[in-house]
Amino acid sequence: MEFVNLQGIRLDGRRPKELRQLCAEIGVVSKADGSAAFEMGNTRVIAAVFGPRAVQNRSQKIANRALVRCEYSMAKFSTGDRVRRPKGDRRSMEISLVIRQTMEACIMTQLMPNSQIDICLQVLQADGGTRSACINAATLALADAGIPMCDIVVSCSAGYLNTTPLLDLNYIEDSGGGPDVTVGILAKMNKVTLLQMDNKLPFDTFEKVMQLAIDGCEAISKYIREVLLENTKQLEYRRGL
Amino acid sequence: MSVELSFGEKNFIQGGIEQNLRADGRQRLDFRPMPIETGVIPQATGSARIRLGSTDVIVSVKAELGRPNSHHPGKGKVVIYVDCSSTVGPSFQGKKGEELSSELSTALQKCLLGGSGIDLSSLILVEGKLCWDLYIDGLILSSDGNLLDALGAAVKAALSNSLIPKVNILPDLAADEEPEVDIIDEEYTQIDTSSLPVIITLTKVGKQYIVDATLEEESQMSSAVSISLNRNGQICGLIKRGGAGLNPSVILDMISVAKHVSIRYIATLDSEISTAEASSAS
Repeated sequence: MEFVNLQGIRLDGRRPKELRQLCAEIGVVSKADGSAAFEMGNTRVIAAVFGPRAVQNRSQKIANRALVRCEYSMAKFSTGDRVRRPKGDRRSMEISLVIRQTMEACIMTQLMPNSQIDICLQVLQADGGTRSACINAATLALADAGIPMCDIVVSCSAGYLNTTPLLDLNYIEDSGGGPDVTVGILAKMNKVTLLQMDNKLPFDTFEKVMQLAIDGCEAISKYIREVLLENTKQLEYRRGL
Repeated sequence: MSVELSFGEKNFIQGGIEQNLRADGRQRLDFRPMPIETGVIPQATGSARIRLGSTDVIVSVKAELGRPNSHHPGKGKVVIYVDCSSTVGPSFQGKKGEELSSELSTALQKCLLGGSGIDLSSLILVEGKLCWDLYIDGLILSSDGNLLDALGAAVKAALSNSLIPKVNILPDLAADEEPEVDIIDEEYTQIDTSSLPVIITLTKVGKQYIVDATLEEESQMSSAVSISLNRNGQICGLIKRGGAGLNPSVILDMISVAKHVSIRYIATLDSEISTAEASSAS
């Protein structure tokens, strides 16, 4: 299948090194302590953060830092065909775990001993890159909840199809059989906290694809920073400062 | 959804309902504003999102080709399923939300499908062989009480938003052959939702009953009756929840109140749906 045509245009009309349209909104779930919606093209996720609060299950209590929990679930209508999997299947468990570990790396858990933070992620539309979109949404929701973080974590994926490195794969490209590299970085410290790849790739190409994904992360972090700044300005304005 | 209220707060809610002035300024039989968005899920046949205060639900309709049940060869199938997202609260993580999900799914099936709200025979393509299956999936994103009414309204909005593609059925079909179909692009039929009932839940707090209760008000209820009524004022389904018993005469009184409220409620819902349709079309 031809994923990039001769003019260098992808199936959805993007250039190889182009991100999809980003859209973020803070405060979408009013009952949560912090929440955000994040869209990357047709992928749309909602994140809600509850906490820090007392640990519900005492046996899970950690004396010197906060317990971070994460749940990822897909809506029945999120994919083209209706999802028939029950809640909490293997794939969601794996993604929950990955997101939990990534977010734990940036939350300053040592400041909140004996407490618990819950991150709930709901996929409304899945069109590739739900993992990345969830991490970006979770970062915004954590910031909205006022949870101390050492940096902003952002994530983006990149792939390699038709001998071209492609940024931010959509569902068709993701299922095209090529490798899919998902990278999560701490934006300011410039450190990689998440790296996953699911196919074989020569070393020098891998370097190129990973660099492309990191560049994508940087663009997203710039956007997230703008959204957070705008949100803070709004809050300031409402408080009359 | 555990609500922790102090003695004073409980008194305030109960006293307010007694005096026909609730905590958010509404009267006993007033609904909260109900903004509707339709077409929120592009890959679905139809979808709608409704917010009632902080209650936030999305309903999507997906039409798939299926085989009619052998007991009802002339009828299509409609399945309603409600899911409770973990974004409602950490107490709904994992399988903990399933109790609420299945309670709401059954209630919706009883209230909406019971009284021939959807004309199932209109979903049939080849009798006994091919029909449309409508999968109606609800998702609760945030809960501030009155979930059933919100879901009922969202189902109605999502069904009015649904466009079912027209199909060409190839003729000359032998009796035991599978029918072959062609889906025609860009030509659709709409589902008739005019006879679909609405659900009105009356929550009894003290001696009075209120509509559209918030989470705090629901925590003070003695019992609640959900009544589904259609445009002609006929009762299409009824569910009583909550522990306390009710005098039969009180139930009859509640039904007449619900009937009275439903006239205004259906009118509001219709105008909200048409506004949403107009704005999503443009």
